[in-house]
Amino acid sequence: MTFRTKLFIIFTLALIVSIGLVAVGVTTGARRAFNQLNTLHSEAFVAQFEREFQRSEQDVVHKVQGIADAEGTVRMAIDLSRPQADVSLYVNDARGVAQSHQLDFLDFVSSDGSIISSTEWPARFGYKMTWVTQPQNWALVGSFLMKVDTQNGPALGVMAVSTVRVGDKNLYVVGGERLGKDFLSSLVLPDGMRALLYQNLSAQFDPVNLIDQTGPAFQAERFAPFITQQQQHPAEQLFKISWTRDRASGEVFHALPLLGRQKELLGVLLVGSSQNQVVTLERQIRMLALEVVALGLLFGALMSWWGAARVTEPVRKLAEGARAVSEGNWNTRVDVRGPHEIAELGRSFNRMTQQLAEQRERLLQAERVAAWREVARRLAHELKNPLFPLQTTVENLQRAKSHHPEQFDEVFRESTSILLSEIQNLKDIINRFSDFSKMPQPELSTVNLNDVVRSAAKLFEPQFGALGRPPVTPELHFDEQLPAISGDAALLRRAIENLILNALDAMPAGGVLMLRTTHDDHDVHLEVSDTGTGLTAEECERLFTPYYTTKQHGTGLGLAIVQSIVSDHGGRIWVDSEPGVGTSFHILLPVKPSPHVAPAPPPAAPQPPVVVETEKV
Amino acid sequence: MEIAAVLNSLEPAAASLNVDQAEAQEQVDSLLYDQRGSDGKFIGPAGSGAFRVSEWEPGKRLVLAANEDYSGGRAFIDSIDIRMGHSAADRLLALELDKADLAEIEPDKARDAAEHGIRLSVSRPDELIALVFFPGRSATQDARTCEAISRSIDRSSIVSFILQRQGEPAGALLPQWSSGTAFLFSTAPDPITAKEISHQISTTTKIVVGYDLADTLEKAMAERIAVDAREAGVALAVEPVTPAERKSGKLDAELVRLRMISSSPRESLVRFVSTLEPLTGLDPSPVPGGASADQLYEIERNILSSYRVVPLVWVPEVYGLSARVRNWTMPPVGGPWPFADVWLEQQQQ
Repeated sequence: MTFRTKLFIIFTLALIVSIGLVAVGVTTGARRAFNQLNTLHSEAFVAQFEREFQRSEQDVVHKVQGIADAEGTVRMAIDLSRPQADVSLYVNDARGVAQSHQLDFLDFVSSDGSIISSTEWPARFGYKMTWVTQPQNWALVGSFLMKVDTQNGPALGVMAVSTVRVGDKNLYVVGGERLGKDFLSSLVLPDGMRALLYQNLSAQFDPVNLIDQTGPAFQAERFAPFITQQQQHPAEQLFKISWTRDRASGEVFHALPLLGRQKELLGVLLVGSSQNQVVTLERQIRMLALEVVALGLLFGALMSWWGAARVTEPVRKLAEGARAVSEGNWNTRVDVRGPHEIAELGRSFNRMTQQLAEQRERLLQAERVAAWREVARRLAHELKNPLFPLQTTVENLQRAKSHHPEQFDEVFRESTSILLSEIQNLKDIINRFSDFSKMPQPELSTVNLNDVVRSAAKLFEPQFGALGRPPVTPELHFDEQLPAISGDAALLRRAIENLILNALDAMPAGGVLMLRTTHDDHDVHLEVSDTGTGLTAEECERLFTPYYTTKQHGTGLGLAIVQSIVSDHGGRIWVDSEPGVGTSFHILLPVKPSPHVAPAPPPAAPQPPVVVETEKV
Repeated sequence: MEIAAVLNSLEPAAASLNVDQAEAQEQVDSLLYDQRGSDGKFIGPAGSGAFRVSEWEPGKRLVLAANEDYSGGRAFIDSIDIRMGHSAADRLLALELDKADLAEIEPDKARDAAEHGIRLSVSRPDELIALVFFPGRSATQDARTCEAISRSIDRSSIVSFILQRQGEPAGALLPQWSSGTAFLFSTAPDPITAKEISHQISTTTKIVVGYDLADTLEKAMAERIAVDAREAGVALAVEPVTPAERKSGKLDAELVRLRMISSSPRESLVRFVSTLEPLTGLDPSPVPGGASADQLYEIERNILSSYRVVPLVWVPEVYGLSARVRNWTMPPVGGPWPFADVWLEQQQQ
């Protein structure tokens, strides 16, 4: 993942989180505010209902009292107080009186509790209404809620009782208004709110008893658990009903229990507040928030991308520049503009690469000069050695010709022999230089380095114990699990021979020559060590420079050739040395990547990974 | 001189039973001199009445003109304009407004009418209002249900409150003044026994009792019966029906009116039995000619013991008369209206 992408993701995430938090905050706050408003509406409506209810109660009390005070009622009471009074005369009076006083319920009840006339159930004349005759000061009771038996079944009513007393007999006027859909219709409801009334007229929940201002309530059975709860424990209650899966269909209800004189539950007023407006508003706000979020995200993403690009583009250019420099393109320049730190970094980078290029150029020039000087020195040195005998031989010929003509022939034969020998020597020198300049490209094949090392070592076996010189003891440590490599066996052998030859040259007093092969997952490792005179650090640094030599008669091309061969095989060579102790050359060659290369044959029997072969000649 | 009468019983559609139509036809026949077909054309002499038909709109209006050739002498009044199809309230209103000289008044309105200064002519109670249970109804299949209802009914309260004392509680098919045996049938309510029976049968099916949609008296009585039955533990609903709906099969019982056709108990009982048997599905109870009072009593008892017929009240015929009507006498049971002898006092301008 690029730096730009990371920056873009970070910017975008930060933007999403910020905008999301704002959106959630706005939505949550709006919902809370709407819910509070809704609750306030509901409470206001409940308060309104309570006021309406109280007003209705007062109204009923006044109407009933008005009927009791009316002349006709007093006359009826007087008439009924007489012995053998004919109560049938008044059987139809209640209806007309109730209509004139706009009461839904009206009963005239005699002193013994018998119904004289009834509006809500005219046919009940003669039956007893005993509760009204119980000792009670009805004027103090005022109004109350009551279940009223009517011709069409029980109903809820706001009732009041008034007494007309004549002598020792009472005429009871029981009147009231129905608490039903007409009462619900009289309530002024704000939009989105409605009122329902459950008339608790049966022991169990009955959907028929739940009405709204138009009649039986829709899906009344959904209220069953809440009404049942009210029947068990009457108390104000808030609950919510979702009519469909859509949250907007939800309705919050405020349940208000309506109790009778004996504190029995007679009804439950349900103030419903539709969630539709709230949810719609919430959705609109959420939609708006989402649109803002989307636009913000889009804008933020674009800005993040632009910002990330603006920040990372110089860095990317610097990275590309650095990579180009690492690949050797020293003239790389980055185009970083602007006044800020990144631009300053770019300018510094450019200055650095420019200085590096200039230094490298100077170094190369110096190295080239040094190399040419070394070549010149080596050429002068190499050529001077055969030239001196050539000059001496030619002077001997001249001297013999002029001073000893009799010996001239003999001198001539000897001199020409010497001349030919030295000329051959010159040719050899020229051929070595020519060979170095014409190093062949390796012809790669599958090679077992152990075999190559054994072959090279075997070539030098005669020299390890040659007469007249101190013995050199070879120690060969071969890793028998050494994987094959891809290489040119002849060139590798030549390189190893050069290293062995150098080691022998480094041990004029004899010593130990060690050849060791090891490997890891990627490379095989060859170490050629001697216990010779060793090299200084400076010598180590220049050791692989062509034409550099520490030997009296060396051309300085041996190690250069070795390095060239190793390099052509994709390998690496370095030297560790300590004066007086010895020198170790290390060669790393990559394991052959080709699958066609057969691995080294496994040993027939378990063997140690390293075999030490010591040969003493 | 013309008498304007507002009568209900001439209107076939308003009659609760066919018997009323027939009875009305008898009344008309007794008045008519000639007879006309359904198209209004003269068919031929019929009856020997004091009046002949002048105009005839079946169910709406009948105008009778004095028969100059009446054997009993020409009637005092020249014509009678009988209007039909008006409600009881309208009839009473017409009388109060002097738009009619004579009008039928429902017994329960008689007291009010009298208090409003209307002259009343009240007959002896000659019309039985009874509750009849139809056969083959599951709700009333058990006779004990009918018995419980019968015992729960407070007939005295019906007479006192609904009829405003214009009538008598009925326990028999014939009135006491006619049969002399009506006192043997109890009219007192027995709510305790009714409750016991109700608990025994413990039926939950609601019994539907029908009444004439246009009859407010029947409505009030039906509702009271429902209250009494409810107190006894029997679920009973009342249903107003039109004559066309009577045979719809939705009713389990119905209020019926049975008017005596004469003061003879046998003749009336024969009429009642012939009317009730098809309604109740009871076995025929032949009333022998010249049956004694004991035999009539037994027939009544047999019919009533089934509780398929529950007598409720006897009500009288009540007529309201305008102030100018003179010489009106209450006609005998089943007899014609005495229009021939009626005369109208001249109104002073």
